[in-house]
Formats: sequence, C-alpha cells, structure tokens
Amino acid sequence: MSSALDQLLHARTGPMTSDLVQRPADFGLGQIPARLQPAATAKSVCGFCSTGCSLQVHLNAAGEAINLSPDPDHPVNLGMACPKGWEALTPLAAPDRATVPLLRNAATGQLEPANWSRALERFASEFKRIQRDHGAHAIAFLSTGQIVTEEMALLGALFKFGMGGLHCDSNTRQCMATSHVAYKQSFGFDAPPFTYADFEESDALVFIGANPCLAHPIMWQRVMRNRRAPEIVVVDPRRTETAQAATLHVALRPKSDLTFLYGLAHLLIARGAVKTDFVAAHTTGFDAFAAFVAEFTPDRVAAATDVPVATLHRLAAIIAERERVSFWWTMGVNQSHEATRTAQAIINLALLTGNLGRPGTGANSITGQCNAMGSRLFGNATSLLGGYDTATPAHRAHVAGLLGLDPALIPDRGGYAYDQILDAVDRGEIKGLWVIATNPAHSWINQSRAREILGKLDFLVVQDMYVTTETAALADLVLPAAGWGEKDGTLINSERRFGVVRKVARAPGQALADFSIFKLVAEAWGCGDRFREWSSPAAVFQILKRLSAGQPCDFTGIEDYAAIEAAGGIQWPWVENRSAETGDRKRSESLKSGFRTPVSGLTERRLFADGRFFHPDGRARFLFDPPRPVPEPTDDAFPFTLLTGRGSSAQWHTGSRTDKSAVLRKLAPTVQTVEIHPDDAAGLGLFSGQTVAIRSRRATVNAVAVVTATVQRRQLFMPLHFPEMNRLTFPAFDPHSRQPSYKACAVAVAPA
Amino acid sequence: MQTFIAELLAEQTRLDTPVARFASAHDSGSVPQRSALNSQLIPLTAPGPGEQYAFEVDLDSCTGCKACVSACHSLNGLDETETWRDVGQLVGLDPAHPFTQTVTTACHHCEDPACLHGCPVLAYEKDPVTGIVRHLDDQCIGCSYCILKCPYDVPKFSSRLGIVRKCDLCHGRLAAGEAPACAQACPTHAIRIVTIKTGMRRPEYENRNSETGYRKTNPLSLTPNSEPRTPNSAAAAAPTPNSEPRTPNSTASAPFAADPESKTQSPKPEFSVSGFRSPNSGFDPSVSGLRSPHSGIPSSGLRSPNSGFLPAAPDPAYTRPTTRYVSRRPLPPGLQAADANALRVQPAHAPLAVMLTLLPAALGLSVLSAAAPHKASSWVTSGAAALGAVGLAASVFHLGQPLRAWRIFLGWRRSWLSREAMLFGLWFALAVAAATAELRGFNPSLPQNELRILNLAAAGVGLAGLICSAMIYVDTRRRFWRATQTFPRFFGTAALAAAAVVAPPLAAAALLAKVALELSTLRGGNLSARLQRGPLRGLLAVRLTFAAFAVPALLAGLGAWALVPLLAGEFAERLLFFRAVDAPKMPGQPA
Repeated sequence: MSSALDQLLHARTGPMTSDLVQRPADFGLGQIPARLQPAATAKSVCGFCSTGCSLQVHLNAAGEAINLSPDPDHPVNLGMACPKGWEALTPLAAPDRATVPLLRNAATGQLEPANWSRALERFASEFKRIQRDHGAHAIAFLSTGQIVTEEMALLGALFKFGMGGLHCDSNTRQCMATSHVAYKQSFGFDAPPFTYADFEESDALVFIGANPCLAHPIMWQRVMRNRRAPEIVVVDPRRTETAQAATLHVALRPKSDLTFLYGLAHLLIARGAVKTDFVAAHTTGFDAFAAFVAEFTPDRVAAATDVPVATLHRLAAIIAERERVSFWWTMGVNQSHEATRTAQAIINLALLTGNLGRPGTGANSITGQCNAMGSRLFGNATSLLGGYDTATPAHRAHVAGLLGLDPALIPDRGGYAYDQILDAVDRGEIKGLWVIATNPAHSWINQSRAREILGKLDFLVVQDMYVTTETAALADLVLPAAGWGEKDGTLINSERRFGVVRKVARAPGQALADFSIFKLVAEAWGCGDRFREWSSPAAVFQILKRLSAGQPCDFTGIEDYAAIEAAGGIQWPWVENRSAETGDRKRSESLKSGFRTPVSGLTERRLFADGRFFHPDGRARFLFDPPRPVPEPTDDAFPFTLLTGRGSSAQWHTGSRTDKSAVLRKLAPTVQTVEIHPDDAAGLGLFSGQTVAIRSRRATVNAVAVVTATVQRRQLFMPLHFPEMNRLTFPAFDPHSRQPSYKACAVAVAPA
Repeated sequence: MQTFIAELLAEQTRLDTPVARFASAHDSGSVPQRSALNSQLIPLTAPGPGEQYAFEVDLDSCTGCKACVSACHSLNGLDETETWRDVGQLVGLDPAHPFTQTVTTACHHCEDPACLHGCPVLAYEKDPVTGIVRHLDDQCIGCSYCILKCPYDVPKFSSRLGIVRKCDLCHGRLAAGEAPACAQACPTHAIRIVTIKTGMRRPEYENRNSETGYRKTNPLSLTPNSEPRTPNSAAAAAPTPNSEPRTPNSTASAPFAADPESKTQSPKPEFSVSGFRSPNSGFDPSVSGLRSPHSGIPSSGLRSPNSGFLPAAPDPAYTRPTTRYVSRRPLPPGLQAADANALRVQPAHAPLAVMLTLLPAALGLSVLSAAAPHKASSWVTSGAAALGAVGLAASVFHLGQPLRAWRIFLGWRRSWLSREAMLFGLWFALAVAAATAELRGFNPSLPQNELRILNLAAAGVGLAGLICSAMIYVDTRRRFWRATQTFPRFFGTAALAAAAVVAPPLAAAALLAKVALELSTLRGGNLSARLQRGPLRGLLAVRLTFAAFAVPALLAGLGAWALVPLLAGEFAERLLFFRAVDAPKMPGQPA
C-alpha cells in the first residue's frame, strides 16, 4: 500500500521512464534502449571520409537499419567513429530526398515529376542530339569520390566504351588529383605506401597541410596510440587543433611550403643525413636534386617562409636523428598552384632519408573522400580502368580483351580535366553534362563563374540523393539516387583497404542505386549488350579483379565481399594464392597485439619494403621545379590572405548530407564564419559575433567574425562547408594535376 | 525497358533478412575488448561515504571530434533533435597564446544541484551512493523551471513528451560495468568516470564576481609557471619541459606525469598539477597502471591546473558541479567562450507572461479590497477573482504535463515554484469566496467583518504568493532577474493596478518610475542590455508605446479603461523580462 502511494506521489516508473530503459543487447553491443534492441547487425564501411571506419548497423526483424555503432572488431577504427559516422543513417531520412525523376518543363521553367522511362528516353535523346549536332565529345560527366568502386567503373566504362564520350572527371580532382599524379610520377604508380599502423610506429610524424584532429579524427586516434614518444610536427599557417597537439608547430607563410621543403632537403643534405645506400640502390635523380636545393639556404628559406632558421635546423635534426620518420599530407598540399611538386618535395625528403618501406615511415597522402582511391584506380578518367595508360595501344588492347570489347571503342587519349571541362562548356564545345553525386555549383573554385558556365549547357543532368543541392537546382533532369546504406559495393580507403558497404535501408520512392541507373542508361542508349557481364556490383568486383591482375594494385587474391568482411577489410595488393603462403600473422593475433608491431599479413601491409618501385627500372624519381609566386598575392586593396579548410568534424563538404542531421547541425556553426587575428580585428574595429563583409576581386560575401589568435595577422580562415566561401576563391590550378588552389587568395575585410 | 525498370525498382526495396546474418554477427567476440576498455574508463568500485561519481574530461586529449555527442544521442535512443551533451569552444584572444579548446559538457551532476532544489514536484533525485542527479521522467510536469535554474543549460525540454530530460551518467551502463556512451565513444579516451570526494571546501569556487554572480575569467587559469607559446617561438626556442605541448606518450616524457602527487615542479603548490592523470594513461594499463578511484584526489582538495572548474564557465560556487576538466598544461590567459558575444533571445514563455501580468494585477485589486474597502468599487473584488482565474488558467498552458500538476505541493520545502503554486491556489479560493461574499453582501445576515477577514486573508496570502513568484526568478541568480529588478516589476504591476482604480495620477507617476527602472537595464554592455537594444528593440518599443498611452489615459480619468493600455504594457514588459534574460551556459559554438 505504501509503495502504491509512493508511486502515486513519486512516479519512478511509467511509460516515459521505460522509453529510455536499457537492457543488454546481443552482438557485443552492451546496454541498448529496449525499444532499439536489434534483431541482427550488419557491417558497412562509412561513406563519408577516406578513413574507412567500419560501422555495425543495427537491424530490426525486417532487416531495416534502426541504429548503428562503430564496429569494435575492425582494424581501422577499433570501435570508434567520428560524429558523421555515428549519424550516417540520418541523412537517408531527409525530407528533401529525390524520390522521382524530375524534368524541367520548358514552358514553366519548373522541375516536374516524370517516370523513369520518360526520364531515360529524354536523357538518351538529348545527349544523342548533342553528339549529333556538336560531335561525340560534346558530352561530359563530373562524378564523385562518394559512390562505390563498382559504380565508378561501370560509369567510366559506359560513358567511354558505350556512349562514345571522352571528357569525364570527378570531384576527386578537387582533393586527390595531386597525390595521384605525384605518386605516379615519383613511384611509377599511384600507390600510397602506408598502413595506419605506421601512425603508431613512427618516431616522428610530420603533418604538412593536414589537420587530422578535425578532418580524420579516427586516424588521429592511431597517432594517440603511438607509444614511441614521437615528435609530432605540424606545418600549417594556422594553429589548428592538430598544431596545438604537436610537439612542434611550424607556422609558415601560406603557400611557401615548396620553398620550405627544399630548404629542409638542403639542410638534411648539408648535415649528411642522406641514406646513401638507399638513394643509390632505389632512386634516380638525386644528384640533380642536391644541386638544385643547394641554393635553398636557411637564410633564404627563412626569409621566404617566415620560419626562423633555428626552427629549420630543429626540424632537420628531428628528421635526421629519428629512426622512423613518416610524412603525412592532405589538402594544404594538394590544393595549391604548385601542388604536385610540393607533394613530390615531401616524397623527396622520404627518399633521401630512406624513410620508405619500413614501419613508421613513408611519404603518405591522407585521402579525402571515402572512395577517392576507387576513383583513382577505376574511375576511367585520366587513366584506363585499373591504372592502365589510355595512350598506350597495348594497354588498350589488354583492357579491351579483358572486357570482351573491340579495342577501337577505347579512346586513344585522355579527356579534359574538371576545369578544362568547364572551360569547354564556357567555349560552347561541351553542351551536355551529367553530374553524379557532387555539387559543383557550391564546391567549385570561383563558384559564381562555375554557376554561370553551368547555365550555358544545353542539357544538365544531376544524379543525386537530394533535390535541394545548389547544382540540382540548375538541372534540366534530376535522377533520384539511392545513397550510402541503400546499396552494395566496395570502397577503398586511404591505406588501400577495400571495405564493403551494405544495403540496410530502402531508398525512398523510385530512387535507384547509381549502379542501377547506369544499367538503365546503358539500355536506353542501346549499348546494354556491351555490359551484360556487369550485372551487379558483386559481378563487377570480379571484373575489376581481372583488370587488376599483374598491376601494382593486384587484388586477385580477394575472393569476394564476404572475404573482405571476414578479414576486416583487405589492402591491395593481395595477389591470388598469396593468402595461403603469407599467413604469417593471423588476424586474431594482430588484434590482440593492438597493431603495435608491423604486420605483413592480411591485416596491415605497407608498400616498398623491398625498395622496388613501380617504374620499369624499379627506381623512384627525385622530381622538382623552382617555386613559383602565389597566383594572387595580397596588395593594398586586398591585404589579407584567405585560407580555407575543414571547419569541423561534423560537416562534410557542401553539407548536402551532414546538414540533414539535427545532431550534426548542433556540432558546428550554422552560418559561414571567418576567423581573424585579434590585432587585425582591433585595427578594423571588429569583434567576435559581428557580421563582416569579405571582398575579393570576384565577389563580396558576409560572414560572422570569430576573433582568434590561431590565425596569423593579415590572414583569414573560412570553413569550406558554406556556399559563400567559394565565391571568393581565385581560380588557379596546379599544372600537373589540374587541382584547384583553394587555399590562398587575396581579400579585404570590413564591417558589413 | 519497362520490365527492367520494374525489376530494378523491386530489387532496390529488397533487404537481406537478418536471420542470415545472425550467426556471423553473434560470434564476433567483441565483448572482451569492450570490457577491457570499460575497465579503464570507469571506477572499479562504488563510491564510499563522502564520495560520488563524476565526469573527468581531459582537455589535452580532446581534439574536438565531438563523437561523444552523437554517441550519447545514438546509444541512448534520444529524439532526433535531442542531445544531452553539448560542445563549445574556448578561444584565446592573446596573440602570444594562440589557442582553441573544444569543451564537451553534459550534466555536471552537481553536489548542490539547482535543478533539484527548484523542482516543484521532486522529479529530481540525487542518488545517495553514486551522486548521479537523476530525473524522474514520469514525475515531471514539464514546467521547465529546472532549465532556468541550471546555470549550465543542461536539462532539455522534449516537446514530444512534454517533459524535461537530461543526462543520467548512463547509470544503467555503469551498473552493468559499462562506461557511459560518451566515454566509450571517445577515440582518445578523453572522457571517463572518476570518483571524487564531496563536501570539501573549494576556495577557488568561492571567488566569484559579486556584481554579476558569475565569474567571467578564471584567476587560476594563469599558472605561475606558465610560459608563453607563440606560433614560432615554441618551435624556435628549445622549449622548457613545462611549455612543451602534449606528446602522445606523455607518461614517459611529461615531467609531471610520473608522479601525479609531485609538487616540486611548481613554485606554488596550490596551482600545481597534481590530481590529474596524464592524457593517455587510459590507453595502456600496463604503462600507467590503473589508477585507484581516489588516487586522483589529493587529500588537500581538488587541485588541477584548471581547478577553478573551467574558464569562461558559470561560477561553480552556485551548484558545485562535479565534472573535472583537467589539463597537463596551463591554460593561457584571456580565454573567451566562442559564443561570448552571441545574443541569444530567450523563450518568451507567453503563458507565464500572461499569468505574471494578470495575477499581480489581481492581487493589487485584492489588496485594494482589503486595505481600502470604502474606496474600492463593488467590481474590484470580483474583478480580482476574474483576473486571477484567467491568469491561473494561462499558467496551465505553460506545463507540458498539466495532468500531473496536482503533485506540485510536494516540493514546498525547497522550491519557490511549489510555494507560489500553493499560495496562489489558496489565494484564488479566498478571492473567489470574498467575491461571492461581496456579491451576496446585501444579505444583512452576513457579518461585515467576515468579508473583511476574507479580503485581508486573500491579500496576505496573495502577497506572500507574489513574493514567491519573484523569488522563483531571483533564485536563478541571473543578473537581469536580480531582486532589485524583479520585485519592483512584479509588485509594481500590482501597485499600478490598484492605484489605477483609486488614484490614477499616482498610477501615472508610478508607471513612469517603473519604466525608468526598466530602462536602466538598457545601459552597458551586458547581454540583457544588448538584447533589448538589439534584437528585442521592437518589443521594447511596444512596451514603451503602451506606457505612453497609459499615462494620458490615467491622467484623463478614464477610470478602469486605463487598465487596458496599462496591463498591455505590463504584459509586453513581462515578455521582455523573459526574452532578454542573460541565460548562463557552458562555452558554445561561435555562430
């Protein structure tokens, strides 16, 4: 009786209490709210960044995803994920999903629903008309690093071998083109040499233009597991979160990194830190390089980079004296007017100090998008499927043979890069464009011109999950695509690891997997017969294995998706029949060891342990060029250098997915911000929270000021996730990789 | 083609049945790994007497990934927009110390929880063993007073449920030997649960700014042996060990980490770095050893480089939050919350504004009936009851769960809200009785002094209730709601209503004085002043316009009609009262 009275007065139980009550779940998940108890789980690699975290998706009895948590057993993320990964399912339920094909009504100018057969018929007829009137190469596509490898391969094959197109590129041009070209020229193949265990194995980690604390938090987890008391050096104009966590922060002048790196090479050579055995046995071009950097004396470098001579000496000493030195770079290097040579200047440092092929070493490019590596290997844009050379007849014949195609169907030259495609549209040479899972009207450099150019097209097709992207708003035809979690396939992460993504949710309305859309386009175009074997992602995976055979990326030893899942992902190369002979360390053992020791087995592998590079002579190249001045220097009218970059770990690129999560929206500013140094703010009478106007030669935009000493004087920083930023950026490109130089342009700032 | 489309659309909706996956997922063998992790993140024994559980946040290890927020959201099954953890930033403005620090915050499970003391229905309980401040979701009436009481903006209102919910330190997980969701999910193990001693005097908590009630800067953030770090100097000069930024393997390289109790490194022991763990010791028990639950708390009291709770955070002396923000390095001076200048217009609480306009006015009339019955017209007493009825009815709309509100008397020992509700309830009964009696006043059998006693009782009870009303807001310790503003505003409305009936010119003068008092809050750079001068200037203009109509209306002798612009103006003032308040919170996002 008294307990009933107590419950009446003091309701300790009831429906709302039960709403949150937890009970132990199966599948090693621990306590989970009772109403979210999974009936099963499925594993899927995250579809945001290139880290490649495995997520354990919680399924209800109908097989539908109801929740997820990071996979505790996966060698990449060890049970952790960043907030984007935790929220990966949320964007699928957004109200602005594309659910039916939309066609622009010429009379009203509005996008109106259409059925798939009409949409496809229109797609084929418009693009064929353009080809008839303006030539076969008057159509192009811009694709993405966000879809599965099998879809990328099918798209590239369909467009070039089926539709007779030539010019195609993807948004990986904006992030990884530089690494691709730099590796290819230096090593003979686009082959990032590292494995994540190297983060834990280094004595010194040198991060150049990289902010893994925000951009790759789960890789940073591995740095924090390093027990060798490493030096952590961060080379970045800003005092980023990563710079604060470093033992040495080199706050160099923006875009002076090439000079800085040559200066380091000069000092290393001068102090006799060259590993002559390694250089002699495995490289070419060292003598010319040594002669070239002779003039990069510390005084000259200090003057050009604002880095004190003492700091140059200290960093040179770290690199020279530490046994295992690894170099890591990201967009600060890749997005530059001289990006490829800068990346190669890093590679040169690793080569001349022999920091390659050993545990905890390497010249390592951290990739951006979840499947940038898939795009680099199988996008069929700059190189032929599987990393073959499009201009080499033997390669074309080989690929045609493997695919059962007439070699004449394969173009004998590469097509335009992203910027060249847009220029060709501007000139009227390209009239039809197909944009897949990317958002150039937001993300392309000097965005206003990009939008203007897109407006000149005869026919713009946008294939996307959402109808609300800035680019979809310009489209003549919108094709509704299924997203991550609604389809199957593989992604390849930064360390060359294949991971499987699974269909765990139903796509809304008539949205279809990009793979299905490409198959339908092939049928509508009338070339479906050429792709009969490409029947499913799993079938295409077998085709890609065939294409990889004998290449540096050979993964013929991976049987199928199940094998990838069972192994916790598999890095290329993994050659057929090798699995049996290299079973030197079983997965369970390496899990137990926490990856503290390098492994050469299935779980973790790095390249170049034998010093053999992929050039025909087996040697890596020292490649270099004199530094060039920044394309748009500051002056009296535009006295600030605008830096750009990732603003938070909760935002992904243009926000078309991450903005759909209420939780992620709480974890970052919701409007464009600009960081400014306290002295500059005081001089201009600006304060934090105030709306200010940023002006470049291209546009004026508003942003909310954040006064912080983490940016240097006369520099501003704007996160890239808001549409304002790219209206300001200056369109300069690296001549080798054609990657845009987002990271520096001249601006002025004043109260709005 | 049509068939193919249909085929692919059908294929798109087909999901694998879970049965096929059950077996493989089941033998994943992940449990041992989790257990090992959990044992590093939570105490191995329950707190003893004079102890409780608390969050410990290692600022050095936190890199700002914010996974803790989403993990809490996902693993606790919160609503789509509901988060129990928040993140913000501290920003360094000193050019010699470029610095940003992400700060993650959940409930601080305070030693002296303001939410608990304010709750009118005792929906908060502090667990006697663990110290976890728990919220009883089925007890909550959704009055949101705890949201006003908590200086850290922790309790969150769920419009789906009509109640407040908040972090419970994952008490269910702790009971099962699991770490809370946020701690499990932190890639760098920056969050863990520790046992702390309670009830200790913390001098640093009692050093608050008496004017604002909240200390804006933290005197302890400038550690005596701190060394400036500049972008290049840290690199150029061979840095001393103390100024060296963190290294991953701090256990080996950090001078302080080897002996957490050591005070020899620091010239002033009270600022020493004892009492924190090295950033990464949680990663490897074999290196650092599992710390016993108490080893982090030296007997001399809580000491860490950051022992003043956290710079730019609300004053901890009020509620004694238990979360420990620890850092191996001195935090630089001049830290500001990234949202320090953000102007956040607060909720209007319109039903409350109606109630707090009509009830004081009703009380004014009630007092008039009691104090000067000969001057009061016959409608005054019944008018008081009528206004009271509308005001009390309006207050019900403020509650998310009004059907549970009958329990509101439970919290009378400590909640001003509970007291207010009881007194106003009693007042209303008396006022209705008085009005009824007066309407029957022609009945000669009713003794006149009985009516007078009723009126006097109503006035007394009502005034006591209005004191409680004001104290509800004064007790939140918000500057804008300080007693010298709140009492004159609330009682001013009552006085104005009474004076408007019996002495309109006096009412006009009083209104001008009250408006002057209100306008005095526009001065200065504080948040309430900036809110009223900025985003709320329209509402302020409405308030002043009604006052400008009310004054001539009162002087013109319009009688009761003057009450209309008068009360409309008071209502606008009450909306401003809610909207312009300086709500304290932990550091937030810049925009």
